[in-house]
Amino acid sequence: MTKIWMGAVLAGSLTLISCGGDKPPETAKTEATAPAGGAAAMPDEANGGTVTGKVAFAGEKPKMATLDMSANPACERAHKGSGQKSEEVVVNENGTLKYTFVWVKSGLPADKQWAVPTSTMSLDQNGCMYKPHMIGIMTGQNIEVKNSDPTNHNIHPMPTVNADWNESQSPGQAPMMKTFARQEVMIPVKCNVHPWMRSYIGVVGHPFFAVTGDDGTFTIKGLPPGTYVIQTWHEKYGPMEQTVTVGAKESKTVDFSYKG
Amino acid sequence: MSDQEKDPVVYSSLSKPLFISSVLLVLSMAWGLYDEMYATRPWKGYQARFEKFYSRYLKTAAGGEADVEKQIKAAPDYQRLNAAMMDAEKAAMPGATAIDKKINGDLVPKILALNDPFQEVRGHVGALTYEIEVTHSESSKDSLRKQIVELKAEKHDVSLPGEDQKRSMDFKAMGDLLQSMKDEKSKLLQQRVALMKTATELRAKRDQYLSDRIADASTSTIAAVQNSLSKFDIRIRQIHVKDVDLVDRCESCHLGTREPIVLTKAAMGGEAVFASHPNKEMLKIHDPEKFGCTPCHGGNGAALSSVEKSHGYNKFWLWPLHHKENIQAGCQQCHAREVVTEMADTLNQGREIFRLRGCMGCHRYEAFDREADEIANVNQQMRQLEQQKAEWKREIGFSEQKANNPRTSDTDAKVLFAHSNDLKVRSSGLDAKLEQFDMRSHSLVREVKKVGPSLKEARVKLKKEWIPEWLKDPHQWREGTKMPTFRLDPNEIRAISAFLWQAGVKADLPQQKPGDAARGKESFETRGCMACHSMGEGAAKQGGTFSANLSREGEKANYDYIVRWVHNPRQRSAPYCAFEKKDLTAEDYQRKALPYVFDLEHSKCPNDGHELQVQQMTPMPSLRLTEDEARDIASYLMTRKRDNATYANADYMDDPNLKNQGIALVRNYGCAGCHEIAGLEEEQRIGTELTKEGSKPTERLDFALLGHKAEAEDWYTHKGFFEHKLENPAVYDTGKEKAKQDRLKMPNFNLSKPEIDAVTTFLEGSVDAGVPARYFYNPTDQRQDIIDGWWVVRKYNCMGCHKVHVGQMTTFDTMTKYLDPDWKDQRPPTLIGEGARVNPEWLMRFLNNPALSETDTNRDGVRQYLKARMPTFSFSDGEIRKIVRFFEALSSQAQPFIAEKLDPLTDQERTMARQLFTSEGAPCLKCHMTGDVKHDSHATAPNFTVAKDRLKPGWTKRWMLDPALMSPGTAMPSGLFRHEPDRYVFTGPTPPSFNGYTKDHADLLVRYMFQFTPEELARLRSSAGAGN
Repeated sequence: MTKIWMGAVLAGSLTLISCGGDKPPETAKTEATAPAGGAAAMPDEANGGTVTGKVAFAGEKPKMATLDMSANPACERAHKGSGQKSEEVVVNENGTLKYTFVWVKSGLPADKQWAVPTSTMSLDQNGCMYKPHMIGIMTGQNIEVKNSDPTNHNIHPMPTVNADWNESQSPGQAPMMKTFARQEVMIPVKCNVHPWMRSYIGVVGHPFFAVTGDDGTFTIKGLPPGTYVIQTWHEKYGPMEQTVTVGAKESKTVDFSYKG
Repeated sequence: MSDQEKDPVVYSSLSKPLFISSVLLVLSMAWGLYDEMYATRPWKGYQARFEKFYSRYLKTAAGGEADVEKQIKAAPDYQRLNAAMMDAEKAAMPGATAIDKKINGDLVPKILALNDPFQEVRGHVGALTYEIEVTHSESSKDSLRKQIVELKAEKHDVSLPGEDQKRSMDFKAMGDLLQSMKDEKSKLLQQRVALMKTATELRAKRDQYLSDRIADASTSTIAAVQNSLSKFDIRIRQIHVKDVDLVDRCESCHLGTREPIVLTKAAMGGEAVFASHPNKEMLKIHDPEKFGCTPCHGGNGAALSSVEKSHGYNKFWLWPLHHKENIQAGCQQCHAREVVTEMADTLNQGREIFRLRGCMGCHRYEAFDREADEIANVNQQMRQLEQQKAEWKREIGFSEQKANNPRTSDTDAKVLFAHSNDLKVRSSGLDAKLEQFDMRSHSLVREVKKVGPSLKEARVKLKKEWIPEWLKDPHQWREGTKMPTFRLDPNEIRAISAFLWQAGVKADLPQQKPGDAARGKESFETRGCMACHSMGEGAAKQGGTFSANLSREGEKANYDYIVRWVHNPRQRSAPYCAFEKKDLTAEDYQRKALPYVFDLEHSKCPNDGHELQVQQMTPMPSLRLTEDEARDIASYLMTRKRDNATYANADYMDDPNLKNQGIALVRNYGCAGCHEIAGLEEEQRIGTELTKEGSKPTERLDFALLGHKAEAEDWYTHKGFFEHKLENPAVYDTGKEKAKQDRLKMPNFNLSKPEIDAVTTFLEGSVDAGVPARYFYNPTDQRQDIIDGWWVVRKYNCMGCHKVHVGQMTTFDTMTKYLDPDWKDQRPPTLIGEGARVNPEWLMRFLNNPALSETDTNRDGVRQYLKARMPTFSFSDGEIRKIVRFFEALSSQAQPFIAEKLDPLTDQERTMARQLFTSEGAPCLKCHMTGDVKHDSHATAPNFTVAKDRLKPGWTKRWMLDPALMSPGTAMPSGLFRHEPDRYVFTGPTPPSFNGYTKDHADLLVRYMFQFTPEELARLRSSAGAGN
């Protein structure tokens, strides 16, 4: 008798599992649209904690190959004289690493909704290169994809948890607005017509992320007091993690160092 | 004491026993009533609880749904639609009201008022007409006719509402007036519809917007359910399928099964029994009203007295409810001839294990011996046809003899000649049939495969010392191998090794120069080898599970043999003649003065002309590699070994005395079920047939000494028997005193728990189904092609490289390397919708020769840029036919294929298309191959030169418009065209010649593409060269 009951309970849980299977995308949808409501919070830059740091690069600076654009004269013309180098590893003058994504991987209150910035990030196709090479956005935040080149491109992000798309953009065609609904670090973007073109988009469910620039530093402001795992991500050298605790109005420094 | 005083009637009282018995009577009645009302009717309690939980859930659900609806209704889009609808309605309202007023206030009352007198006269006329028809005398007919005329001429005073004066009208005038008023009414109604059209359309759009956004039941559905629940009564709910006399009362407790609202255990107070059926799609295909519940699920559908009994978990009930992990067993009984059944992944896995791991080498299972069965069938049909032909030949002779006889009359002679001519024609028809069968029987030789490698090649392929080591425990040596572990003692291993070694064909392989292992590694990882083979051990393992893990290949194999194998795995060391039952040697050929050449072109036995087995019986295809590349790969494989591996000397394997012991053991263990072994080609299977194993009475399953234990532990069932046997095939020898050769022979396959579940599911479903024929899935339309096709698709592991159906993963999807964005585009193409995409005649050619060239075979005909290459499988004609029909059927394409006619291009259109193709806005030529070596070295998309032969125009257009719809993640971008009201227009800048062109741009490009010639493509390349 008990066996049968267990069987029935099992069958029931099976039902539950199979019903539950459809749920995640739904929650994602509401995530993407809901923050417009009153509950979404903004980072409190005046009273919150700050994490700053720099991403250093140790070892010999790798030589980046010059991209071969000979198959597409229109692209080659844009770089007359000086060839375009690959942006896979860009080491700054001060020995830091450019294009490293830095974000708060965990530690934030799980139920908190963060307001999506109304600002739009731009991803330009210029000289058959993506400008910038790496961007960070919040889930639901707009990316404006432009084509400044006299040739056709296609924008093909290759996410694993977000919806996949691949769209053509002709020269002179109006920019397109795109969003990603789910957190994903990172989404590679490529152009199938110009296979050397590569960009990375970090999509985060909160506003605490940064991309290192020419000085290799980053600043994450307005964190609620707490302990966080800060993760860096580099396309060649992969991820690194450190844990940091910040209090209100406190500033902490977390430095990372990649080896070449 | 007097006698009277002794009389018990006088003396003693019966009141005590009477009292006791009446108390007992009352108690037993109470018990009887309780039992009748409740104890044997537990479903009553279920129903009461169901109603309670359901109404409670509906209340909360209604609240939730209403919130969602409110939210959607508050959205600006909905508001806009609603406002637009309201505006349109408001604008149309005055006109509509005026029409309503005219109709309802004026026309309708008038029509009603006029209708009565008119109908009265008409009825009268009708009656008189009938009388005319039934009257015989002409005079009375005439008088009746006169009456009608009078009746029609008679005037009637009719007062119509809204008119002061009465009208005086005859029959015709009334009819005309009535008709004109009716016409006007319908005209006005049409006007009203036209007036309200915008508003109605907008309302539909608004409502659609709402229903598109509510995933679950809407408030109206909930209200309807609530309403029906208010009339809920407690009664037995049963499905009765009359023609099979099936009574299933499952829904007396499982009340939520078919509710329109999805019910979960949590929603129903934690009681799983009330949950909805988890697969609505499944119920749509198998309507419970027609199929019932128990034919799929098992259990005792009529029993209601307890859960245990209705689920059939009591002793002697042969068909207990399938457990969750084996639930798909129910599919197998009716889908018995399939290898892939949709929505039954566990069952499919079970069948796959049964086939691929070699269970079918020892156990016959109907429908799994497709090739062998077909060979038998073809041979039998051929014999029958031959017989028929002989009979007819005799009859022709008799007829003609009789016809030529002078005593036969001319008429009879004519009939006889005609008859003999008929038979001749029909005989030649038989010849055609025989020819087909003959071709089929030849190609069938090619289709038969073995699960394991040929052991005839042992001597040339293997390192001698490795064989005994391997036989000890194959799983120990190579984790996850298909070869199961036999319980062999050292003497048996020695004898078997010696036999296999000495029975091997002796052949001298050409000595190969070494290759480049590093290059070989690259080839191995990218050519497609890993779609079937895996490399690396433990967590480092990458690649497919269809074939062997090659991490230790260098320890076991000979380099020269591996080179030959990689280059062409089908190449044998000696051909086998099934008629003579022997491997032919060079001498056999020499005697007939023939060179010792045997391949698909030279496949006849020199001695007797019978079809030879000229290929190794492996599904492994040829990748059309150069010998250099084969050497590279083989060199790489030879580096794959453990550094510390040592093997003991095995010189005893040459001892001829061991050979005879060995052959007996090899026979005993049924090795020839999976391997080709010299001298044992015709061996029969050693295991029991399993086609109906699931319906064997439990007492005929040999639990041996474990019967009581099984009963005590509650696994004295089919499921329990199978699971224990699969987990430990020797389990039923426990405690038995048996000679070695009498012990259970089934080897251990080291199946994981999910694998055991899958095989158990398959076997549990392997029953002699008691259901009538109409339950069986035996389609006579294109769906049969799908069933047949799956066997071939699975046999050659097409799904290792290709996605064949939605939701399926290929090996490439699992490999780390192919997660990289650049390597992602190196995955072989998806074949979902292949039937709609390609011309079936082209597909036949391609499957036969994927290089699409007789001379240049070191390439892929369509996608040169892919490192992975479509291999040559040497499919038989029958297999190619099945694959092509499979894809056509999956896409519901009409048979036979007739190509669509395209409008020819005008000169102007050709110029336009050329200009567009070469403009900066159009990326086509940047990615697609065009047949030029230099251009194609950068190409990343299929070859335009084969487009017109390969593709179907309709598909090509749909593909250009939105490729992501057909193949999510494809490198081909969407958004190349935008939709205008009546056509598609190229999104990018178009050349000036397009000004004023009003036709569809996508159509134009398709029509142009279907005219591509090498010259045209060369022309395009040269004019595009400057800009791109």
